[in-house]
Amino acid sequence: MPLPFLLPAFTLSALVFLAPFVWLAGTSLRVQAEGSLLLSDGVSLSNYRRLFADPFFLEVLLRTLLYSVGTTLISLLIALPVARFLVTRAGRMKGILLALMLVPLVSGALLPSLGMLHLMGPLGVVNGAARLLGLPTVKLLGTPTGILIGLVQSFLPLMVLPLVNTFARLPLDLEQAAASLGAPALAVWRRVILPLAMPGIVAGAVLVFCAAFTSFVTPQILGQGHIATFGTVAYQQAGQVLDWPFASALAVLALVMIGLLQAAVSIGSRLARRREVRP
Amino acid sequence: MTARSPHTGAALVRAGHLVWVTLAYILLLAPIAVLILASFDNGNFFRFPPQQLSFRWYEAAATSREYRSALSISALVAVLSACMAVVAGSLAAYGLVRYRPRGVRIIEAVLLAPLVLPLIVWAVALMQIYAALGLTGTLTGLVLAHTVITLPYVVRIMHATFDRIDPALEAAAISLGARPFDVARRVIVPLALPGLLTSAAFSLLVSFNDVIVSALIAGGRWMTFPVRLYSQLRGQGVDPTTLAIGAGIIAIILFAAVVGELTMKWSRQV
Repeated sequence: MPLPFLLPAFTLSALVFLAPFVWLAGTSLRVQAEGSLLLSDGVSLSNYRRLFADPFFLEVLLRTLLYSVGTTLISLLIALPVARFLVTRAGRMKGILLALMLVPLVSGALLPSLGMLHLMGPLGVVNGAARLLGLPTVKLLGTPTGILIGLVQSFLPLMVLPLVNTFARLPLDLEQAAASLGAPALAVWRRVILPLAMPGIVAGAVLVFCAAFTSFVTPQILGQGHIATFGTVAYQQAGQVLDWPFASALAVLALVMIGLLQAAVSIGSRLARRREVRP
Repeated sequence: MTARSPHTGAALVRAGHLVWVTLAYILLLAPIAVLILASFDNGNFFRFPPQQLSFRWYEAAATSREYRSALSISALVAVLSACMAVVAGSLAAYGLVRYRPRGVRIIEAVLLAPLVLPLIVWAVALMQIYAALGLTGTLTGLVLAHTVITLPYVVRIMHATFDRIDPALEAAAISLGARPFDVARRVIVPLALPGLLTSAAFSLLVSFNDVIVSALIAGGRWMTFPVRLYSQLRGQGVDPTTLAIGAGIIAIILFAAVVGELTMKWSRQV
């Protein structure tokens, strides 16, 4: 009976979304003849060999990994108090504040980056204000700091929303209860709130990490084309160099890296939970 | 004094907490606010503090044929793919909630995959398949791709919506002699309307603003507004006309978010 309901969406998702990933693994094993878009016959690992032999690409993947971990940690640090506030103290403002969290999620990567250009540029708001106040100006565009700020801004909601869901299930007055017993606020967080919020933290961290690792508009625009990340290089290889087998191999490698990291996180958090349950 | 200090300490913590949250929201909304401010700057290059404010770039946006065509392409793709995603996604959510089929976790995983797997990796693959099938740079190709990336939002929102609708209402309608089509039209759709509107709005916005997938498959004939804007930013830098258009789009999103929250409690549906 449920088949007619499920069939259209399932077919679309399986054929248009999942099947290309299989295709990708296949083309990553082919090569293009010099100066042509046609795939040569035969299967080889030469694209992967090129990836591992060229320090440029390894450097790009490592840099992307660093930015993504940084984005995840900074987002977590910012989001924890925000999510707790939304659940325990926002009251009637909660709905509107949450709705504002959704705005960056649906505005795509481009429009916030366009705003960031004018916020961080040499003539932008930050440096203009610094000049008015007689403070030294800072170079943010084209630097890792600028990219990090942009990534955190774009993906903070992905951390806040799962945390809000987790916190909503905890008692609202943990802080007051602990304070009335004489425990300092930080101890409550470390010993009670954080361990209980672990599922939300892991969910948010995985979302933010993946989004940051694969983003290409933010690093391209805010890095001013000077800083190569996985996203910008993949886009360049696929969209401009048109070396599709190589772009596929790069994409597969990134997918494997993300997959391994996610597996490690999920195994790690499962082990941690098991240890907690034991007396 | 020793008796008072934990009290002042707690007050300080509460005040610091509020400041932290305020700063986080400033970071979150700063680029949007700056985009709106910059769009009213009269100059060819925005500089802070603005010298003179004007509607100059809004006038330029209103009369530009180039941007109008890109915006209408974006709107057309968004409407077509949102329609497809809302129909297919709602049906799937209904099937999942009411029938709980075997393998429900696998089906859900497939349907929600575009939220989990990286879209850029998918786009690199899709452009190759599209090239092989001759779908690159076609409306069909764009709409299919956008349907697939908006589908999981619909499935999630409609899943939550149908979860809240009592199946007894449908059973009652059937026992009173309503045909299945009438049950759908007169009972299910009206009850699910807030969810349907929310998922339609989400699909429209996600599709309209997508650049990740579109940049690799759109081609010249069906170039959406974000793709045009992206290639322009990479090449020539900022055309202030796009600031006015971008500010307009952001204003629509903010308006939709506030109205959606006040009338349909969006934050509880997503």
